[in-house]
Formats: sequence, structure tokens, C-alpha cells
Amino acid sequence: MPNPFTPIIKGMKITFGHLFKKPVTLMYPEERPKVAERFRGLHALKVSHDKAKCVACYLCPTVCPAKCITVEAGEDANHDKFAAKYEIDMLRCIFCGYCVEACPVDALKMTGEFELANYRRTDFIYTKERLLEKK
Amino acid sequence: MVTLTIDDKQVQVEKDATIYDAAKVAGVNIPILCHDKKLKPFGACRMCLVEVEQMKGRLIPACTTPVTEGMIVRSSTAPVEKARKLVLELLMLNHPLDCPVCDKGGDCELQNLAYDHKVNANRLSDEKFHHQIDYNNPLIERDQNRCVLCGKCVRICDEIVSRGALTFINRGIETKIGTEFDGPLSCEFCGSCISVCPVGALLARPFKFKSRFWALQKKASVCGYCGTGCSVTLGVKDNKVLTTVYDENQGFHNGQLCVRGRFGYQFINSEKRLQSPLVRKNGQLVEAGWDEALNLVVSRLKGAGNSAAALATPRMTNEELMLLKQLMTQQVGSANIDHSAGYAHTALTEGLFKSLGVAAAPSAITDIQKSNLLLVLKSDAYETHPVVGFEINMAVKNKDAKLHILSDKRGKLAKLPNATTLIHKPGSEVALLNALAKVLIDENLATAAASVAGFAELAAGLSAFAPEQVADQCGVSADALKGLARAYAAADKALILFPVGLAYPAHDAQLAHAAANLAILAGKLGKEGSGLLVLQEKNNSQGAVDVGFVPAAGGMNAQQILDGCVSGSIKTLLVAGENPLISYPNQAKVKAALDKVEFLVVADLFLTETAELADVVLPVCSYAEKTGTFTATDRRVQKIEPAISAVGQSRPEFKVYGDLISALGGQAPVTPAEAFTQIPAYAGIDYASLKADGTFASVAIKPALVLPVAPALQVESGKLALLTGAALYHCGTLSQYGEGTVAVCPEGYLELSHADASRMQIADGAVVTVASANGSVKLKARVSLRMAEGVVFAPYHFASSAINQVWTGAAVTSVTISK
Repeated sequence: MPNPFTPIIKGMKITFGHLFKKPVTLMYPEERPKVAERFRGLHALKVSHDKAKCVACYLCPTVCPAKCITVEAGEDANHDKFAAKYEIDMLRCIFCGYCVEACPVDALKMTGEFELANYRRTDFIYTKERLLEKK
Repeated sequence: MVTLTIDDKQVQVEKDATIYDAAKVAGVNIPILCHDKKLKPFGACRMCLVEVEQMKGRLIPACTTPVTEGMIVRSSTAPVEKARKLVLELLMLNHPLDCPVCDKGGDCELQNLAYDHKVNANRLSDEKFHHQIDYNNPLIERDQNRCVLCGKCVRICDEIVSRGALTFINRGIETKIGTEFDGPLSCEFCGSCISVCPVGALLARPFKFKSRFWALQKKASVCGYCGTGCSVTLGVKDNKVLTTVYDENQGFHNGQLCVRGRFGYQFINSEKRLQSPLVRKNGQLVEAGWDEALNLVVSRLKGAGNSAAALATPRMTNEELMLLKQLMTQQVGSANIDHSAGYAHTALTEGLFKSLGVAAAPSAITDIQKSNLLLVLKSDAYETHPVVGFEINMAVKNKDAKLHILSDKRGKLAKLPNATTLIHKPGSEVALLNALAKVLIDENLATAAASVAGFAELAAGLSAFAPEQVADQCGVSADALKGLARAYAAADKALILFPVGLAYPAHDAQLAHAAANLAILAGKLGKEGSGLLVLQEKNNSQGAVDVGFVPAAGGMNAQQILDGCVSGSIKTLLVAGENPLISYPNQAKVKAALDKVEFLVVADLFLTETAELADVVLPVCSYAEKTGTFTATDRRVQKIEPAISAVGQSRPEFKVYGDLISALGGQAPVTPAEAFTQIPAYAGIDYASLKADGTFASVAIKPALVLPVAPALQVESGKLALLTGAALYHCGTLSQYGEGTVAVCPEGYLELSHADASRMQIADGAVVTVASANGSVKLKARVSLRMAEGVVFAPYHFASSAINQVWTGAAVTSVTISK
């Protein structure tokens, strides 16, 4: 029969060891976490030449498993296609990142932004203006 | 039959089949880009290359190579795959990779083939094209940069549409699909080229960027415009009809549509659709609830008897017409019901009913391509029923049918190869047909009909119609008439076609008698590809006749109902879907009737000019929102299912009239299926098995010869003869609410000959005033080669320039034209 005190000693070792290590606890919100580069937070529409890169190809709403992306295409003065409406319903988004993966023109990315709490349901609908990449 | 082996499968096919056809029978899929089952083999794309054992050493295009006995074909060997991949790489060399913004993405044959053959990279490189994109056309956008030069658009425009608006221009690497002198596209805008384009070079502008192909729900339906009864597929997204989708396997016409069917769908989800019932209060139409509106209608209809009347549009389903008929005749107790202004259906209800014993034409549209000789009365058959026109084109061009046209003006059909056109004076159709019948009898070409009832009377009655006698009066030479009669009698299978409709008052019972006489005399009835076809104006004109939506015993017809409104004998008028103020002749009379009648109820999709005068307006559903059956012009019963849910508060007429019947103490059929079983003409047709493609109702004929009365029409001296009719781009007044149809033909016009135009010094496009004894209207002049001198033509669809201010329902109206 094994010594009944062995597990206790082992446990206490770990406990005491932590007294001399850097604390894991983050004093959020005073202290900010540093998110990984591949973290999938709030979406952003990339901007190029002062315009959203998005060409409204509808691949992201097609691939989206949560059906949270609404795109409506428009025709601009040059007869080119652009997203007249681009909305993501963050209440439904599961942050899978398929939309970014599907984008054929690299117009969409996911940022490190994770503080998405809000007071009203309507505030969770991110319109094109809110999603445009901030520089 | 020829036996051959494809990929180790043995098949037997007709000897004129190609390897591609045989592969289809064998269930072997051979990729194609330039081939279309409706078009002649072309062999442009080289995607269908196969290996043939007997022709070793080179690869053989399957779509143009006829089969031979004992052929051994291999469709997917390594060299074949390699060649196909190279073909794709060469095509992709210049094809822009803009799939994300190309509307064809998802429905693109090139995209699918590139995916299937894993063409992920290109070993070759070249510059892309820099052709200018044609954005100017309201319906068809042409981007030559995406074109793969398969030539399908060129061929469909030539072989089926017979317009020839597109062709290959330039040579070599600079080859592109162009228009005449590389100018803007000038065509019929049927969109057939778009439907067959395998890539995104031709796109429907009204649908541009509206949705991706894969996001559309495809709902099979039946076009709600003319009586041809074309099957259509509606592209629906978010409960809105966004486009029509091409399906080459649909209907007798293989998915072929005209401008109305393909581009005139916007009325379904138009912003102008009525959203709720309207009731007149203090002289104003204000929104009201259904209960309030229906109660008002019930209070007026209760016990109204013969002081009530109903005018219906043959755009309603058979079941709805059935219910409205029950409501009027049984619950209200009125015999006054009619449709199509009371005369547009007489060719069937009186003409063919007496001549053939049944109020339906004995032939089908599919007979056109089986016929040897087509006798078309009025070239307008093309304009009123464009898809029937395509069938005529194909019969003449592919099947060597002879085409004879008897018309008061030239039309597109007259340009077909070997078409013989006899231009006659307006209003002399019946006299001409009588003269033809007289030739048949005199030259003993009608011996088979000697025993038919009425032969002796007809032979005697036609004594005044010898070709020499009518030649002057009709403006057609006697020899030409005799020649036509002989050709008609000699043809093994001959088919007579003529359109009927609101704008064709001359195409009445007498004309139907005259046409039927010819078919009976020459023994052309009861044979495939032969007989008589009456092209009816609206999608359910034949159904309205079959249901019997005509005055019951002792009832008034449409014109008498309008007279009754003026005199006060009709106090309540229910107008279901018609817009008599614009589409019926004599606007002044219709206006007086609608103003005078005590209580006017209009059930329509829109607040039409007629609805604006109503006391109660009921918003009802379009064909895309309801269940029921339509009967096409050749008695093809087609079922429709809702593609979208009802717009706004609108309700299907089936429910509206069912509710009215219940409110008046009657019992209405609960479902369209139940109502369908109560239509005697369709006994023997199983509702459940009906589809959008349709099932033919039987037409059992009992021929009898009836002497037609030829009207004596004289144009007053010094005046011009005004003919009314339909424009190619429109059908009734409904197409006024379709953006596509309005975009290409926005307003009324007056077509006149060069001779008249130069005599009166009228320039093309000038606004002229057309005046008759009845009134006047301003129209844009269109100087054309179609018209004979002294004859002018105006389409009747347009509210903004309604020709019925001038036209009072006469076949020919004497008018003066001033600048």
C-alpha cells in the first residue's frame, strides 16, 4: 500500500513552487491581455485606396455556418461591384473564421478585439461602417 | 439504327446521331461548352474530344462527328484528358479571373469545367483582353473580355430567334462577338443569347449583382403573359422574384423565352403592388381591412341579381374563374359575366364552336414544326406570341416548311427564307379566306369535304368570292390567291395560325369560320402537324372559355354590361383584373360606364386606371403567389404552385371569391384541386398529376361548314386606316408594370409607311396627333418599312397614350394625322 502522505506532499510542492513564480492572474481591465496573432476576434474589412477591398462576392455569407453575414451588392459609377451593405450579427457569429478563409480578395480579417459586450441587441449588428479597418 | 460502343457500353442510336448524342444515351458524360441541344452542331470549343478506335492518331470532336456502325469510342483516356486540360488552359489564358464579381459565378460552365479538370494553374501566359464593356443596353450587358467564342449566342439569335443581331467580327486573336457595325445592340431583347452563354460574357442587366446563382431558389412556374403557356423557372430569394432562370429541359420550347417572359417579371414584386384593400371614403380611396372591404362588397352583391355584373381577366386561374362564375351566377343570381371585352373570345366561343363543335383549336403549338406548310394570318403572330414565332422560324429554317403570310402589314416572319407574303387591304381577311375556299371548291380540291354538313350552302354562298372579284377589294392579285389555295391543298400537312385578342377585333367568329372552312375543305384536320391554331392573347384565355366565363343564358356580354352601366341597369360592377379603361375600345364609353355605375369593385394587383375609379379595391395575387391551373392556347392544362408568399396583404382570388361565396350563404370548393374537378371540360385530367409543362385536354371535333360573313370595311377617302395590335415587348396592360419590358418599349407609337411620312413630312420620332371621329391622341411617329401606304399601326397597351381614345373597336378606323 502506497504512503498516504505522498500525494499531499506532491501537491504542496506545486503550491509552494507557485509562490516564487510570476502570477497567472491578469488584473483585467487595468492590465490588458496580449492576444495571439492568430486570435479570432471581431472582424474588420480591409481598406485599400480609401475603399473597402470587399467586392461583394457573397462567398462569406455562403460559407458562414451561423448564417450571420448579410451582404448586398451594389454597382458603383464604374459599373464595379461593391458591398452596398455588409453586416455581421455578432450574436450569432461563432468566430470560426471561415469567412476570412473563403474571401478570394483578402478583404476580411479577424482582429484581436474581443470586448464585444453591449447593452442592446441592435448594437451587436456590426454594419459596414463599424467593420471598416481602423488605421 | 446504328450500334456503337462508348466506354465499353454498347448503345443503339439513330443513324443521324452524333457521338455526343450517343454518349448521352449511354449515360457517359462528355464535357461541352459550345454545344446546345437546340442548336446545330458547331464544334468550336474542342472540349468534347474523344478517342475513336477506328480513327486512331487524332482526337475526334464528339459533338460534330456522326456515329458509324461498330464505332468504339473512349471518352476519358489519358490523351483525351490531357487535350481537354490544354483546351481549358488556352481558354483561361485570356479569360479574366474575376469570378468573384461575375454574376455567372456558380452557374458558369467554364468554371465548372476548370474545377472538374483541376485547372488550377496555367502553364501559358498572355495578356487579357481589353474590349470595351457594353453597359448601355437596359437588359443585356455584353462583356467581350469574358467571351470564349463558343458562338452559341450568334447561333441561337440566327437559328431560333431569326434576328441575327450578333455575329463574329474581326479575325484571329481579335475575333469577338459583335453587332452590326459594332454599334449598340439592336434586337428583340428576348435574352436567348444570355440564356445559352456558358460564361459571363452576356448577362441580364436587371439582375446584375442582385444575388449569386446558388443563393436563388428555383421555382418552376408558367409565364403569366400570353397564351403560349411557356414554362418558366423563377429565381427567388428572400421571398422576392429576382430573375428568371434558364432551364433547357423545360416545356415544349426547351426553356426558350421572349422578352416579356424573361425580363417582364418585375411586376410581381413591384413597389406599385397594392398592399392592402382600399375603400372610397369622402371621395378618396383609403386603406381598409379585408373584413371591411369584403363586407361592403357583400352588402352590395346580396340579392343584386341581374343588376350586378362581372368582367374578368383571363389571367386568373381556371379555379378562380370557376369560383367567380359560381359567385355571380349562383349566389348573386346574375347572368352578366364576361371576359376579354366580350369579343376577343368569339373566334372560339362562336366561331370554332359552330365550325368544329368545340370552342378550342384542334392543333397544338408542337404541330408547327411537324407541318409542311404554315398559313399565318397577320404577321402579328410573332409579336403577340414570340415563342410561337420561334417555332415558326425553326419550322421554316430547319424543317423546310413553306411559310405563307396573309397580312395587312409586313412583319419579321416575312423576312424568313422562302416566306411568301401577301399584303392585303386592312379588314379584308375574311373575304380573302373565302376566296381561297372558293378556289378549293371550284378546282375540285375539296372533294373530301363534300359530305360535311353545310357544303352545298357554303359552295352557293361563296359565289361572290371568286378571286377575280375580291382581288381589287383586297389588294391581292387573283393569281396569287389561286396559287396559295393550290399550295395549301397540295401540302401534305398544312397548319393555319392566327392571333386573337383585344386589339384584333377583325379576328372574330367570321374569321374563325373562314379559317376552319379552309381546313375542313382541304381535309387538313385530324392530322399531326396540320389543322388550325388560334393564338390567344392571355395566359388563360382558353381556360376562361373552357370554364365558360361567358354570359349565362339571357346575360349581357361585356359591351352590353358597359352600356348597362351607363343606362343604369347595372348597378354593381365587379372588375376582376381587367383594365377596361385602357385595354377595351372606346375609352369615352368605358369611362362613362365606370363613372355612372353605382358601385365599382376592382380586384387587381395594382391601382390601375380602372381601379382609381373604384369604390372598393381588393389587392390580389400574381401568378407567382398562387396555386391553380392555366390552360394554354392549345388546351394544355398547366399547374402552377406559389413561388413566393403573398405580397403585402394581397390574397389569391380563389380565397377572395371563396369568402364572398361563403358570406352570401353558398358553399365554395375548399381547394383549387376540388374546384378543378368541377370543370367539365377537364374531366379525365388528374389534378394531382398535373405539372408546369402541362397535359393536353382532349379536343373532339365535329366539323361543319359555315358561311362566313365578310365585313364591308371602307376607309373614308383622304384618311388613313388605323390598325390596332400588340407590340412585341408587351402583353395586355400587365407588362406596363414590368421594368424590363418598359425599359425597351416605354410608350405608345404610331407606325407609318415611308410614303405617308414623306408626304406629310413627318420625321421618325416626331410627335403627331392621331384623330378619328371619336377623339384624338398624341403618339410618337415611327417610320417603318412594315406598313403599306395609307395604313398606320398603333399598339394598344399604353395608359399614357391610350389608343382607345381614337379606336372604338372597329377592325379598321379612319384617322387623320396632323403634326
